[in-house]
Amino acid sequence: MAVHKLNVKNILSMVRQVFPNVPESYLISLVNDALVEIGVYSTKQIQAKISTVADQMFYKIGDDAEDSSGNKLEANKIFRVDLMDSEGDYIQIPRLLDKNILLMDADSNEVAITEPDSK
Amino acid sequence: MASNIKYPDSSARYFIQGDKLALITNIDTAGGIRTVPRKNFKAISESVTDGLLIHFYGDPNKVRTINDDIDLDNSLHKAVVDFVKKCLYMDKAGRVLEPGIVQTAMQMAAMHEKNFKDSVARFGMRKRNKTGGTRAVVPVNFR
Repeated sequence: MAVHKLNVKNILSMVRQVFPNVPESYLISLVNDALVEIGVYSTKQIQAKISTVADQMFYKIGDDAEDSSGNKLEANKIFRVDLMDSEGDYIQIPRLLDKNILLMDADSNEVAITEPDSK
Repeated sequence: MASNIKYPDSSARYFIQGDKLALITNIDTAGGIRTVPRKNFKAISESVTDGLLIHFYGDPNKVRTINDDIDLDNSLHKAVVDFVKKCLYMDKAGRVLEPGIVQTAMQMAAMHEKNFKDSVARFGMRKRNKTGGTRAVVPVNFR
């Protein structure tokens, strides 16, 4: 097997062949930029559980959103959603393509709508 | 804790609006189907711990220290090195005043950028795809 782990130290040793004085903190920052750039291309599939809240229509999925264990979601593209049924199993639910539903939930809490800043 | 929705595939829908996921169902608090002609699909009427399971493509884990492993498949490791070198060569091109070195640094930056794009965008699907085997139906030979 050719599987091997690559860590920042390995990258640093490769890079220092050409750039001997590159600082570690700058390299870590560049590696994180690379990971964000590569993450755009659907490299990592993740499953997360979110608790549903009574009478709440919208759930945050932005960069600061968290799953029910408090972990950051950092979701780029959601491709499947399952909802727990009455037997405790997760069943896939269909995505509604036409988002122009008649009823808009705007009064439950701040999750529902994004209000303009007061400043 | 299970929900009171017996058939989520026919009673629930979701859609994405900006950075929010909307969940709607036509099941009321008692577990029955709302039969009113209007407004029958509303927000879910109960709180269920871990009620939603979402599958998504996400960002790899970021590195914090020099000993952290890169959270990527082996096939994409070289792309990270290419990205880092591209940035460092661009920095060098902006820092050095000698035209010859600037030109060389720009060429090296362009080469590493091309390697990165080829590795991630152009041939990335081949690297990420874990499905294998024949892709054509082979007809039976009757002879």
